[in-house]
Amino acid sequence: MSAHVETTTNNELTRRGFLKTTGAGAVSASLATMLSARQAPAQIRGTSLRIIQWSHFVPAYDVWFDKMAREWGEKNGVRVRVDHIPHLELPARYAAEFAAGAGHDLIYYVGTILTGLYYKNLADVTDISDQMAKKYGGWIPEAKSHSLIEGRWYAIPDFYILAPMLWRKDLFDSEKLPRPDTWEQARVAARTLKKKGHPTGIAFSHCNDSNLFLRSVLFSHGAREADPSGENILIDSKEMREGLKFLKAMFDEGMTPEVFSWDDASDNRYLASGVACWIHDAISAYRTTEDTNPPVFQHTHLWLEPQGLPNLRVSIANANAYAIWKFSKNQAAAKEFLLHLADKWLEGMTGSRGYNMPFLNDFYKKPMPVIGTDPKLQILQEFPKIVAFFGYPGPFTTPIQEVVATFVFPDMCTRVARGQSPDEALRWAMGEYRRIYAKHKRA
Amino acid sequence: MTATPGGGPPDTGARVAAVPIAGRVAGRAWWRAATARRLAFGYTLLAPAVLYVGLLVGAPFLFSLYLAVSDANVGDPVASFVGLENFRAAWESPTFHIAWQNSLIFTVVAFVLKGLLGTTLAFLLLQSFRGKKLVRGLVVIPFTLPIAISVLGWKWMYDSQFSLINWALRGVGLIGAYGTEGWPVWLGQPHLALFAVISVNVWRSFPFSAIVLLAGYTSIPPEVLDSAKVDGATFLQRFRHVVVPMILPILLVGLLFDTVFTLSDLSVVYLLTNGGPDNATQILPTLAYQIGIQAGALGRGAAISLFLFPLLLPAMILLLRNLRRREW
Repeated sequence: MSAHVETTTNNELTRRGFLKTTGAGAVSASLATMLSARQAPAQIRGTSLRIIQWSHFVPAYDVWFDKMAREWGEKNGVRVRVDHIPHLELPARYAAEFAAGAGHDLIYYVGTILTGLYYKNLADVTDISDQMAKKYGGWIPEAKSHSLIEGRWYAIPDFYILAPMLWRKDLFDSEKLPRPDTWEQARVAARTLKKKGHPTGIAFSHCNDSNLFLRSVLFSHGAREADPSGENILIDSKEMREGLKFLKAMFDEGMTPEVFSWDDASDNRYLASGVACWIHDAISAYRTTEDTNPPVFQHTHLWLEPQGLPNLRVSIANANAYAIWKFSKNQAAAKEFLLHLADKWLEGMTGSRGYNMPFLNDFYKKPMPVIGTDPKLQILQEFPKIVAFFGYPGPFTTPIQEVVATFVFPDMCTRVARGQSPDEALRWAMGEYRRIYAKHKRA
Repeated sequence: MTATPGGGPPDTGARVAAVPIAGRVAGRAWWRAATARRLAFGYTLLAPAVLYVGLLVGAPFLFSLYLAVSDANVGDPVASFVGLENFRAAWESPTFHIAWQNSLIFTVVAFVLKGLLGTTLAFLLLQSFRGKKLVRGLVVIPFTLPIAISVLGWKWMYDSQFSLINWALRGVGLIGAYGTEGWPVWLGQPHLALFAVISVNVWRSFPFSAIVLLAGYTSIPPEVLDSAKVDGATFLQRFRHVVVPMILPILLVGLLFDTVFTLSDLSVVYLLTNGGPDNATQILPTLAYQIGIQAGALGRGAAISLFLFPLLLPAMILLLRNLRRREW
């Protein structure tokens, strides 16, 4: 009977009660869905978003990114167009877009971070930077180096490309050499193994690797580029001189003049060919070797940035970041897209085969995608403690950008490797730094 | 009564006759006159060329002049006048002097090599042989290939480890083994690197020189060359005293183009060495690009690129004056 009543009652409630119950359920479900899978505001529906991107060194990432962008666009009613161009062409493209006052909404910096130059013409993204930081445990301290200007965020750091030591365990073991945990150990290994036909190499040329890795060696020896204000040059130091002497010794003992001609991919080939005993490079070299020379790949191991001075490891990395033009008519969609990208960031890391390293703390929860599950790559999870960027320990300022663009630092090292005394080379470099800084101060 | 200028009797008939003519001329719009119409037609025909030069050459040139005397940078639309400060800053930089010197070496050496190779090729292509048409087609390939592709091909040939050139030279025993001092590092040793980038520029452009010469040569009436032959002129005498004077206008135009293209060639150096190692291959266009675009200092970049102007201007004036004199 009661069941009947209940049923009746239920029957009575069917018209209104059903609508109420299911309506409430639907609203709750929608809210839950919106909260869990972020729903973009209605105002961006029917708009279009143009994104310019580099062609990633790991093509699978571009495939993932384009699909993710397309799906986001379909879901939110935004026509998304992604253009991929070679990263070296990006600065010229931005100069043209800025001059024309038209172009992409969302732009991308690869290594050459031009936030300092363009910030007056970039949208303030402090709001979404704060949201991301709140949601994902804050930014790693170095994230500010190239995105924060006068206390406001004008770029959203995307990822950095770390550069570990990639060393041949079989060759090291054959000579009973320890893994290269210090630069001195790396030097001894290069000296020993060069005699066996396995030298090492770091680019001493006009390429990005050269700008990054020579700084890593010298900064790990205590040298520095600019003070935390970014205003004062610090390269003229005892530590820099000692570091340059070390670099000269390592070049003479363990390298060949090939390094003067290297581009960003030469060291990858050096490792993959089986010649190198170790290289200092991004994990693209590891992946290239995996694809092209499996026997060498099997013996290739990775390790942290070596220490120069005791307990001092400074790994200068290539930073990538997004920015939104102030002239963009669709800043709202660009910001929504970046928030969505942050939500999908770990998927992107998988898409990049572990190449992309995050700037947000929570993404370092172990095990990280790809690198956390591969025993050889697990050590890479320790990099946020030692990573730094151009201008270290200062920020990546516009004078530093010019120093980087004109390869002053690698040229200083090249001069020493070719036989000029560290004092002379440093004097020349200081002259170049001073001239560049003075021009920017006058401007 | 009107007195004649000579003081004779008044010439009423002349006055009467003059009035209607003056009246006719005054009553007709000036632009209807035949001369005006001819002028208008001429200027109309000329207008597209003037517009083209004005918009695509004159305006950018004036804009770069404006940039060069300002502190403009890529991120700041408001620039202030700084006079010759950017030129002074460039002149004070040792890298600029290296780039200036390399630009001159690059242009002169490339010019000489292209002249020699182009002339040789042109005369080879004048000979009758089997497959001549195919060869004529093939030799222009370097010139027609997209520069990025051809230069990347050369990059592989100059690779420090996998250089095809080195493996060939090693095969015939001319160089040492890989990893020894006898193994040339084409893009890593300063003089070799400069030679390497010049070589690629020459390889790309000498077919153009050959084609210019060939076009000029085929326009010479055969009887002129035959009569020189009959008169006993040797090959070199015919070339120097008959061929060159007759095709000089064409040669000068070709030279003009080639000098401009070589001096402003950014791609070969940018793609092969980016100005390295230690600025050994740095030239003014690459330095201007690095400072103006990559570092964002448009004013200083423009000033550096304008240093090409005094290099080019005297050469252009001399060539064009020579050309005009010959036209008269």
